[in-house]
Amino acid sequence: MNSKTFPGTVESIDLIRHYISEIAQSAGLDKKSSYNLKLAADEIATNIVLYGYEEPGLEGNIEVLDEQTEEALTVIFEDTSAPFDPLARELPDEEDLTKPLEERQIGGLGIFLTVKGVDDFSYERVGEKNRNIFKMLKGRVS
Amino acid sequence: MSFSIKSDVKDAPESGKVATIYLEGELDSLSARLFQKEIEKVAIESPKDLVLDMEKLTFMASAGLRVLIFSKQKIGPSLNIFLVKPQQPIVDTLEHTGLLHSVTVVEKYPA
Repeated sequence: MNSKTFPGTVESIDLIRHYISEIAQSAGLDKKSSYNLKLAADEIATNIVLYGYEEPGLEGNIEVLDEQTEEALTVIFEDTSAPFDPLARELPDEEDLTKPLEERQIGGLGIFLTVKGVDDFSYERVGEKNRNIFKMLKGRVS
Repeated sequence: MSFSIKSDVKDAPESGKVATIYLEGELDSLSARLFQKEIEKVAIESPKDLVLDMEKLTFMASAGLRVLIFSKQKIGPSLNIFLVKPQQPIVDTLEHTGLLHSVTVVEKYPA
């Protein structure tokens, strides 16, 4: 398991995204899977920084862990902001997604893209930490 | 951060005003703030067409989608949004979120 720690600030979001790209590349994910993982990671990192740390005025880190097996790449974000389960919120449904732009609600799309883009996304609270877990299967035919 | 944006608004005598925004690099939640400011700037001119040149845009997060929704809500439902040469992952994102049929993807503008 590799680990890298980023301060929970907006400046880190860009850096985390690029770090995730490197991990995806070294795991041999195809272009599409790499992009989807990067997008998912960006959405979750953004939520942690803006709503977990910045909004309540807290300081903390995002620790990015990754582990590879022959079958899968797993990336885990750990942070120490208040418990927040991204999956607890209702995702946009088919009806929401077919509404014209002018009637669209503006929230929920980030989590939707996260869940849609990775092979498995899960959340757990362990002690004082939120753990957001992204799993990508390797060798998918796309 | 690698993101740049510029815009211009031109008068087209027959079709009304055309606002063109050139997006380059990665559009995440931070750069989306700049994108939104640019939309607010061109919205003053009440363009009929909004042309987003995306050929050099390599990444777009949901914050970028929210600005697309915002632009329609700000400028009005009659606004036509054209995306010039968006890259495939961005088209996929628009498709998954149901936004693709609210915009027109083109190779160039005007066609």
